Amino acid sequence: MTRSLAVTFNALGLYAIALVLLVAFAAQLVLHELPCPLCLLQRIQFALLAVGSILNIRFGPRPSHYALSLLTAVAGAAFAARQILLHVMPGDPGYGSALLGYHYYTWAFIGFAVAIVAVAAMLLFDGQFKEGTKPEPMRTFARAAVLLVLALTALNVVSTLLECGFAACPDNPLVYELLKPRL
Amino acid sequence: MEFTVLFLAVAVVMAVAWWGTRTLALTLFALTLLACIATYLHHASDVLKLSF
Repeated sequence: MTRSLAVTFNALGLYAIALVLLVAFAAQLVLHELPCPLCLLQRIQFALLAVGSILNIRFGPRPSHYALSLLTAVAGAAFAARQILLHVMPGDPGYGSALLGYHYYTWAFIGFAVAIVAVAAMLLFDGQFKEGTKPEPMRTFARAAVLLVLALTALNVVSTLLECGFAACPDNPLVYELLKPRL
Repeated sequence: MEFTVLFLAVAVVMAVAWWGTRTLALTLFALTLLACIATYLHHASDVLKLSF
């Protein structure tokens, strides 16, 4: 695999992360389901997953950049597994509504597991790490992916501030704390 | 509030990874990941309200 192809795959990974963040936003805005603290933590891990790919696009593919993605995905999978286990008892309806039969935290676990496998698969191709090849000019496709993920993360900063306000986020948030009418 | 700060930290790490130096991005990444794990452990130590 050439460096150029590896960068393209990393950009595709960023678009996949953007899709996850967009679906989470859609559930929040369309279904009016506010994310719980553990849900927010998983969303943060998805955003953090982008850092390895951004570094690969900017500085060229390196095993250490893929390691960042692996560490993040393992942490995210652990957080999602914790939430699955919290609702594992028979009769427990789970948190929030289900999408295609699975709750969002189950999808998050699957997403992090897929990320681990995808990064491990990328690490199989040593050709991308050869320094001899001339670095390719930055393409619009990759640049747009980085800016899209960055913009979605910035939107999450605003959304989380509106939801939690300046205090600890409630376990089962029902309203945006900063948009609540004051008496 | 801590989740807003964590999202902001991730946005800063991304911006540094894209426009700043690699060393600074790696350092900020490590700090942010550790902060996420610390936040998780803090919440994981809460008493669970189980239904059995």
